[in-house]
Amino acid sequence: MQTVVYAARKIITMVPNRPEATHVAVRDGRVLAVGSLEEVSGWTSSDGGEQRLDETFADKVLLPGFVEGHAHMMAGGIWQFTYVGFEDRISPEGMLWEGLKDIDAVTQRLRQIESELAPGVPLIAWGFDPIFLTAHRLNRFDLDEVTRDRPIAVIHSNFHLMTVNSNALDLAEFDRNTDVMGVDRGEDGEPTGELQEMAAMFPVMRRLKIDIRSLARTDGGIRAYGKVCHRSGVTTATDLINDLPIEDVELIAAITGEEDYPARLVPVLNAHTAPADEIAAQALKLREMSTEKLRLGSIKIITDGSIQGFTARMRWPGYYKGPDHGIWNIPPEQLMTAVETLNAAGVHMHIHVNGDEASEVTIECVAQALTKNPNPDHRHVLQHCQLADAAQFRKIRNLGLCVNLFANHIYYFGDKHYELTVGPERAERIDACATALSEGVPLAIHSDAPVTPMGPLFTAWCAVNRVTPSGRVLGAAECISVEEALRAVTLGPAYTLHLDHEIGSIEVGKKADFTVLEDDPLAVDPMVIKDIGVWGTVLGGRLQPIS
Amino acid sequence: MNSSDQRLPLTVITGYLGAGKTTLVNHMLRHAGGRRIMVLVNDFGDIAIDADLIESQDGDTLTLANGCICCSMGGDLFYALSDALDRQPRPDHLLIEASGVADPTRISETARAEPDLRLDGTIAVVDAVGFADRVADSRIGSSVVRQVAAADLIVITKSDLEEITELAKLKTQLAEFAPGARQLDANFGQVPLEVLLGGLPSAEVTARAHACSHHDHPDDHEDLYLRWSISGDFRYDRQTLRSLLENLPAGLLRLKGIVQFNADEGLGLVQVVGRRAEITSLSARFEGVMQTNLVAIGLKGQMEPADLDRLFA
Repeated sequence: MQTVVYAARKIITMVPNRPEATHVAVRDGRVLAVGSLEEVSGWTSSDGGEQRLDETFADKVLLPGFVEGHAHMMAGGIWQFTYVGFEDRISPEGMLWEGLKDIDAVTQRLRQIESELAPGVPLIAWGFDPIFLTAHRLNRFDLDEVTRDRPIAVIHSNFHLMTVNSNALDLAEFDRNTDVMGVDRGEDGEPTGELQEMAAMFPVMRRLKIDIRSLARTDGGIRAYGKVCHRSGVTTATDLINDLPIEDVELIAAITGEEDYPARLVPVLNAHTAPADEIAAQALKLREMSTEKLRLGSIKIITDGSIQGFTARMRWPGYYKGPDHGIWNIPPEQLMTAVETLNAAGVHMHIHVNGDEASEVTIECVAQALTKNPNPDHRHVLQHCQLADAAQFRKIRNLGLCVNLFANHIYYFGDKHYELTVGPERAERIDACATALSEGVPLAIHSDAPVTPMGPLFTAWCAVNRVTPSGRVLGAAECISVEEALRAVTLGPAYTLHLDHEIGSIEVGKKADFTVLEDDPLAVDPMVIKDIGVWGTVLGGRLQPIS
Repeated sequence: MNSSDQRLPLTVITGYLGAGKTTLVNHMLRHAGGRRIMVLVNDFGDIAIDADLIESQDGDTLTLANGCICCSMGGDLFYALSDALDRQPRPDHLLIEASGVADPTRISETARAEPDLRLDGTIAVVDAVGFADRVADSRIGSSVVRQVAAADLIVITKSDLEEITELAKLKTQLAEFAPGARQLDANFGQVPLEVLLGGLPSAEVTARAHACSHHDHPDDHEDLYLRWSISGDFRYDRQTLRSLLENLPAGLLRLKGIVQFNADEGLGLVQVVGRRAEITSLSARFEGVMQTNLVAIGLKGQMEPADLDRLFA
C-alpha cells in the first residue's frame, strides 16, 4: 500500500488542534495523517508499505478542497456562447477572455467572432453587465454595426435581460407597433433592442434556439462544468436545481465516474415538477444511486424571486424605490405542504429564499414540519437568505437550519441595493455572515455561478471585505475574518451537504481533496486574497494541476 | 373562421389555491366539443383531471379520450411553451393553469410577444367565500389582487354560499381591482365553453343585423346568456372601430369576427374577450369571407341586441 507524504509550505486544515501543518500523508485516496514530517511518518514506518515524500507542494499552500454549495452546471456549457463581460475570465479550456471595459470593446469582440461564423448562424454572447458600462445603454444600433445579416443576442449577466440587433427584432416581429411588457422602446417609438424578462425574450430565444437548459444536460456541458470547478480550486460542487431524469443521471454518473473528471458533483432535484410525495419518492430513489463522485438525494424548492429584479418577497416596508413586496414563486400554503411532506419523508431540502418575508415564511413552515415530524440532524438549508435579520438567524439556529449566503452578491449588486432596491440600512445587513456566525448558524457562502463567476477565493474576499464597485464598505460589522471565510467555502458548505464527515477539512480519515494555492490567504493583505493563484487541486489523492 | 389565423390561442387561468381552477379546467375538458385542448399545470401541480376523462398516462402527460392532453409545466414556462408550440399536431387551444401566486401577466405577455401565439384571454377564478380574507392577508393579498387585476373574465365560484349583500360587495370590490373585466357567477364551473375559450359559431350570412336568440342552442345556459350576430356589407374606419370596441356593453363577454374596413384597407379580424380587444389585419387572400361578419355572446339583461345593432350596423 503506497503512502505519499506531501510537504507543503503550509497546510490550513480547519481542525482546531492543529489548524496549520507542514505535511500530509495520503493513502488510498484518504488522509492518513497531518502534522509535521516526523508526526506523519510514524504511520508509514509501522505499515511496512512503500512510502514516498513528494515535494510538489513545497512552496504551495494546501487547503481542504473548496466546496461550492450553490452553483449551476450550466456554468460550464454557457461558454459555447461568446463571453462579453466586464471582468477577465478564463474559459473551461484555459483561454483568457479579457474583460471588456466599454461598448466599443464589446462590439469589437463581437465583430471578430462574427467574422468566423458560418453564414446564417446566430451570434450569441453572454455575461454582459450594464452596471459597469454606464456611458450609454447597449442597443440595436451598436449591434447592427457588427452586422445586420445575422441575428445577434447579447445575454446580460443576470440572465433576465438581453440586447439584440435589428435582424433578431425582425425575426421576433418586434417593431414600433409592438406593445409588449419588456420590449424596450426609445423616444422614436422603435424598439431599442433591449428585451427585459421572459415574455420579451421568449420569441428571440425560441427562434435563435438559445436553450439554456440543454447547456447543463450534454456530455460537453457536464465536462465543461468540471473544468470550471477545477480552475477555481473547487473539488465538490452542487448543481442546485436539476430535473434529473434517469438518462441524465446515468450520463452524469458515467462522466463523473471517469478517473480524470476533476470534481465531485452534487446535483439537487427540482421539487417543482410534481406533487411533493412523488418528489420525495424520487429523491429517496436517487439517493441510492450515489457514487464516490456523484451525490444525490437532496431537493430544491424556490419560494421567491430576486432582490435586484424586485421579485424577492419582502416584509414591511417593502422595496425602497420599487413597487410592492415582490412575487411568490409558490403559495405559502403549498410551501407548507411541500416542506412538511418532504421533511416527513426524511428528504434533505435546499430552499431558495431571497427576501425577508420568504425567509420568515419558510422558517415558520420548517418549524411546523419539525414539530409534526422531528427530524434530528436534518440540516435543511436556506439558500441565499440574503435579508434575514438577527431575530431570524436566531430562529434558524434554534430549528437546526443552515444558511448558504450569497456573498458575491455584496460586490455585484450591493450598490444597487443601497441606492435602489432595499435602501441603506437593509443593504448593510445583506448576506449577514457575521450575524449568522455570532448567532451560531452553520454558514456557507456561494457564487451561484454562472450568475456570478465561480471562485471561492473571490467569494471569501467578498465576505471578508464587503466592498462594492463604488468603493463602499457595505455593513462593516458584517465582515468576517479570513479564517471564518475559508471555513465557509470548505467545511461550512460540506456540512450543508451532509458531507462534512468525508470532506471539508484535512483530517485523518477524510478524502484527500485539497485546493493548492500559490500563496497563503492567512498571510496576505485580505484585500488581495481574491488574486491568489490556484495551482490546481488534489481529488482523492490524485494530483490535478491546472494545465 | 379560424383558418385565417394560424396562431395558437392561449388562455391563462389564474386564482389562489382552492378558488376552483381545477374544477373549471375539468369542465372545459369535459365540454371541449372537438377542440384538442392542451392543459399545462403549474409547479407542484397534481394534475387533478377527472378519472373518467383520462385515456392514458405517460410520465407527466395525460391523454384524454377526446384528444385533449394535460402536462405538468415543471416550473418552467419557457420550455413548456416551446414544447407546446413544437408539438405535432399542434393543439387547437393552450390552457395554462397558473400557480396560486403566479403573476398571470408574465404568461399573458409572453403570449402577446410570441408571433405564433395569440393571447385569447386571462380568466381569474375567485372564490366568493374566501376572497376577502385573502385580499386582507398581508402575505398573499397583493398576489391575489394582481391576479384579478390582470383578468379579462372573472369567474366567481361558490357564489351560492354567500349572502346576496356580501356577494354584491365582492362584485364591487372586484370591479375596483379590475375595471372593465367581465364577472360571471359560476357554480361548479358551469359556463359555456364559447365564453371561456371563444370559438363562437360564425354568423349566418344575411344582409342585415339580427339578434340570434332564436337559434337552436341545445344547452342549459340559455336563460343566462344571449347571442348576437351581424353579417353584411358594413364598413368601418379603423380608428372608429377601435373606439367602438372600447365602449361595448358591460355584459358583452366575447365578440369575434371579420370586419371590412373603409376604402381599400381590406379586412380585419376582431377578437374581444371581456375588456380586451384585438384587431388584426387580414390579407386579401382570406378565404371566402368578403364582408363584415361578427358574433357575440353576453349576459342576458346586461347586453341589449339593439345596442349592438346601433353600434355596428
